[in-house]
Amino acid sequence: MPKSSRSTWQGVLVLAVIVGGAVMTLISAYRARREMVQPDNRPVQATIGNYVTSNSCRACHPGNYASWHTSFHRTMTQVATPASLLGNGAQTDFSLNGRDYKLERSGDKFFVRTRSLGGDYGEPREVVLVTGSHSLQVPWLEAKNGRTLEQFPFAYIIAEKIWAPVSETFLTPPEFKEYYSIGAWNGACMDCHVTKGQSRFVSGDTWDSRVAEFGIACEACHSEGREHIALNRNPLRRFKIHLTNKVDPSVTNPARLAGPESGMDCGQCHSVWAYNGMEDKLDFNRNGTAFRPGHLDLIQRFIVQPNSPDHGEQKDFIREREPDFFHDRFWGDGMVRVTGREFNGLQSSPCFRGGNFSCISCHEMHPTDTRQVSLTNWARNGQLRPKMESDEACLQCHKQFASKIESHTHHPEGSSGSRCYNCHMPNTTFGLLHAMRSHQVSSPSVRESLDYGRPNACNLCHLNQTLAWTADKLHNWYNQPEPELSSDDRTIAASAQWIIKGDAGLRALVAWGMGWKPAQDISGRDWLYPYLIYTMTDPYAAVRFDSWKSLQTLPGFSGFPFTYTADDRALKESAGGALQKWLREVKRPDTTFEQQTALQPDGRFQRAVFERLRNDRDNTPILLSE
Amino acid sequence: MKTSDRNLIFGWWSLVVFLSLGGVLEMLHGFKVGWYVDVGNEMRRLMFTLAHAHGTALALVNIAAGLTTRAKGFTLRSSVSISLIWAGILFPMGFFLGGIVTYGGDPGVGVWLVPIAAVLLFYGVIRIALDLSRLR
Repeated sequence: MPKSSRSTWQGVLVLAVIVGGAVMTLISAYRARREMVQPDNRPVQATIGNYVTSNSCRACHPGNYASWHTSFHRTMTQVATPASLLGNGAQTDFSLNGRDYKLERSGDKFFVRTRSLGGDYGEPREVVLVTGSHSLQVPWLEAKNGRTLEQFPFAYIIAEKIWAPVSETFLTPPEFKEYYSIGAWNGACMDCHVTKGQSRFVSGDTWDSRVAEFGIACEACHSEGREHIALNRNPLRRFKIHLTNKVDPSVTNPARLAGPESGMDCGQCHSVWAYNGMEDKLDFNRNGTAFRPGHLDLIQRFIVQPNSPDHGEQKDFIREREPDFFHDRFWGDGMVRVTGREFNGLQSSPCFRGGNFSCISCHEMHPTDTRQVSLTNWARNGQLRPKMESDEACLQCHKQFASKIESHTHHPEGSSGSRCYNCHMPNTTFGLLHAMRSHQVSSPSVRESLDYGRPNACNLCHLNQTLAWTADKLHNWYNQPEPELSSDDRTIAASAQWIIKGDAGLRALVAWGMGWKPAQDISGRDWLYPYLIYTMTDPYAAVRFDSWKSLQTLPGFSGFPFTYTADDRALKESAGGALQKWLREVKRPDTTFEQQTALQPDGRFQRAVFERLRNDRDNTPILLSE
Repeated sequence: MKTSDRNLIFGWWSLVVFLSLGGVLEMLHGFKVGWYVDVGNEMRRLMFTLAHAHGTALALVNIAAGLTTRAKGFTLRSSVSISLIWAGILFPMGFFLGGIVTYGGDPGVGVWLVPIAAVLLFYGVIRIALDLSRLR
């Protein structure tokens, strides 16, 4: 072969490689562009105002990005994928209220088909978003109507790895069948479960919603970042801030705010809030929140405190339009009773008046230790700062008590009874199927139980004691006046009364509390069985769930199977089985029961007492949503 | 001592130091020392890596400068020799100090030594290139 011909072929080969490479690049560019096309069946992420998303923050704040990325704030709302849709392989067939649902996977997408009982399955509808990733996750379906979402009627309870009807994952009256209506996510959930959500109502059931970012991202707390990034491209500016420790006015840093402003950063969502008026509601709906982190004014909204003098007109309007609004969120004295609304409690705490107390007095959003294992533990443990699970949380301000814990608490130092937060922040709020500490710092009293039906901290731990016992202790130790008490309050353990005759919210708190180890340790475990077994048939699913969970903490009942969402007959059968198991297999023959437990020597209820308490039950419907 | 000898000696000792630093960084990785490998310490990791890389590269530049002058039979200007040696010190030191204290995505103030080192390096390299060109 002549030399020139050989080099021609080599040239052709090189050219072919270059052309091939170019074609491959064009194909991948086309694919990438096609993937960037926004879906039209769900809310989408869009460029809104000066929001730049967490991706832009990451480069300069890798540690903060890492802690946020591990937090449940990030995963509060996610696009449904095999990784984000939890429990997607656990169950495929669901039935509820006369309808069957089939959850199917096709590639990386999930679809739900529905049929009425006996009918054929209809068209598949895509699962497009998921909300929640810590306790509970609710999948959302395309409504085939703009960017409107419809609730998949089942939620995944993450700790239990089970699916349950959404209406039975909140404390809701048994007759309550559907929790979220079509468009509820667009019209309500996205107010707080995304960053800068714009609901954008169109008409009828149609929404054209968009967000700056799914989940609660950097700019939700630090304000929008475009100006901050533009200014800080200048290295001299950055180093001036680093070396002088000056505040950068182009961004909000809650850690450097006064208590009220810092607290409001969290309180913009973690509170019971309402719109100032219809115009503000429409503005919020169209443009999203106008609140800028670092300020006290929510602008379009206000924090609803039942007893505060502000916004009287708006609160009267709420009372008129939604009579149960306050009852379903607050105890009678105005203390918030639902979880997720901690700022209401914080704002009502005496500590708040000092001006330095805020959420980040005890919690931190960005731990300095960014090892993944540390971050995971931090995220699962309420994002608490180090040592904040100890008395240090309170002693950082109330230093005078450090040397007299025993004399102040009348409990041995180091015991659960001496822990500041066990008395001053008892587990009196409820949501997502569990009790949680009240964030309104208060002192225990018998009056709160008598007047407002709220369990006091003493009897939440000393479950086997009467209100009279507590009144006596509080009188002797803290000179609290002794209230007038009924005969039952003098003779029957407060928790026994509450779990039988309290409203459903109170029953749920006590059912949860009976599984609380410090309470079991001091109150004994033997007498708790019949109460928890009885409560497994409570009309409220949330109460049944907590009874079951608490029963599992008792000897002999670890892993006890129970479907808390089953029908009445199955519930009774399970409870009957549990009672027989306790009486025959678990209960020791020599077990004795204190008089105030209202149990007979054989462990069964004192019939007359039980019937009387049950007849006195507060059956007022109650809905405690998070 | 000839100026080229000074750069050769510096280069080889510098190579010893920065190859050792590479070993230290490997150890920090191996034992997963949080101060170095945690996500929040990404800037420190980058700075130390750059200190290692630049220290090693500058050591080689000094050796190359010394060998070039010997091979081509010309004398390395004293200012060039010193520039290259200081570049070989300040470059890795700037990155290293910049990694000791970091501000999120920003290195510490030590990193400001790097531009000074860059000027010295450019001066040395350009000067050698010009001197070599004049030899032809």
